[in-house]
Amino acid sequence: MKHVRLAVAALSAVFILFAPDAFAEKSTMGSESPKAPVSMSKSAGYAGTMTISADKTALNNGGVITVTGVAPAGKPVYLEVWSDDTVRASRFDADVDKGTGKRPYRFYLTTEMPAYYKIFVPEQMKEKIDASRKDGKKWSLSRVLQETGADAACDVPASIKIDRYQATLMGSIVGSRGTLLNPMDPKEQKTQCLQLVKARFRSLDKVVGADIRIDPDGAFRAEIPIRSGLAPGQYKIVAALDNEIRSNTLTFENKISFPLLYLPNAGTSLNVFGPFFLTLAIVIFGVLIGAGGGFIMNPLFVSLWPLPHTIVAGTVMPTVLFSQASGIYNYSKIKFINWKLGTTIGLSMVAGGFIGPKMTELITLDQFKFVFGWVLLVLAGLMVWQTTPGYLEKNKKEQAILKEFKKKAESSAAK
Amino acid sequence: MIVEFWGHEFKVNIFLGCIGGFLIAVVSSMFGFGGGPFMVPLMTIGLGLPMYVVVGSSLLAIFFNTLMGSMRHFQFGNFDLLFFLVMFPAAIIGGFIGPQIAKRISPLMVKRIAAAGLAILALNLLGVY
Repeated sequence: MKHVRLAVAALSAVFILFAPDAFAEKSTMGSESPKAPVSMSKSAGYAGTMTISADKTALNNGGVITVTGVAPAGKPVYLEVWSDDTVRASRFDADVDKGTGKRPYRFYLTTEMPAYYKIFVPEQMKEKIDASRKDGKKWSLSRVLQETGADAACDVPASIKIDRYQATLMGSIVGSRGTLLNPMDPKEQKTQCLQLVKARFRSLDKVVGADIRIDPDGAFRAEIPIRSGLAPGQYKIVAALDNEIRSNTLTFENKISFPLLYLPNAGTSLNVFGPFFLTLAIVIFGVLIGAGGGFIMNPLFVSLWPLPHTIVAGTVMPTVLFSQASGIYNYSKIKFINWKLGTTIGLSMVAGGFIGPKMTELITLDQFKFVFGWVLLVLAGLMVWQTTPGYLEKNKKEQAILKEFKKKAESSAAK
Repeated sequence: MIVEFWGHEFKVNIFLGCIGGFLIAVVSSMFGFGGGPFMVPLMTIGLGLPMYVVVGSSLLAIFFNTLMGSMRHFQFGNFDLLFFLVMFPAAIIGGFIGPQIAKRISPLMVKRIAAAGLAILALNLLGVY
């Protein structure tokens, strides 16, 4: 135990020593990089245009940025805010289509989804957003945008490239995404993109906010909350009045510094010590209970951080490759592996391992959690069974034989 | 299939082993966990093999699945290198510390606590509370 504490203490000390350096490096880099100037209202008063300005050009892991501007009196103004950094988003549409009564089984995929995307609407429309909350998980982004009039302001979703695949049962079994379909028309494109925005950000509050205060004379002001844990880099803000009128584009930079780390594929910034110590604790616990860490790690990662379940499953899996390989090496040294048995079952598992990762992207996070819930219940049942007297007695004998065989094997390997 | 291990021969229903292994592999690669806790009961109870045959050979079988699953996840873009680099050293260190602690505590107690903990986590995931 003493060694353990020492090791942990030493490790933390090393990190803390390096932390200020990393911080300093990042912040100088940030101040040297050229930034787009925040535009001032040069053309104020010109009919049909709008100018906006902001109080800051940089944020440190989120914060509040205040945007002000003037619009024609009595008209609602919307702000569209997004990050330059993009992530992958996907959705599998297997819901019954109201028009045809059939399930479309289509898979939508984009790699151009902004890592941050949010539409801000006037304060008065808060009630309309709250009304959508009653729908629970079935809230519809396009309905919220239509009811608040903000659909006129959604320019970014209309411009990202979405691939559409027709999935088939056979295709999913052999691990194919399906046939790539023709590009969609602009209307369908926008509808599907809003669905992808919802699939990616999941919560209504992450994509719509009622934070714009508009005075009777048309002057407006919005204190935009940018949450922590987002992508670093350039963000853009544009104000929209209706389908036609757009303001100048404001740019600001979101900075993050060590120990925060941005995971580019997951699209999330998080404190590296969180996953590090969680992994450490769970792997130790996993050794104690005789179950790999993935069982506990995956559901905790998707619950504690806004990480996509596809990324969690796909990244946790390879971490055990090394320990499994070293385990096989150790067993093979003492000839404790039956290669015929292991390889035969192993080949059937290769087929399973080929199919599984394809299915991960077909399910939603809620389905992921649901299945994990049942898997863990079964696992808990297995654990309880392993503590019953009958099992323990049998296990005692087995362990004794195992020990004896290992001894024999080790001594013969040593010769 | 006849499995020979250290001078003993075991008759194994390999069909059952392969179907079971396949199903465990689909679920475990889909959700990103190792299949160990399910493979061991499959091979001991389902195939009737003694523990000392199962420990090494089940690990070999699972390794095939992990390797394939990892490659496919990588192919579909589900792999985040930075995230991996944060977890990997922790997993290695944990792999060294774990067995040291395991020697000093009662596995029975740990398993009972773990079962309770897993059940609580499971109910949370199922939205019971």
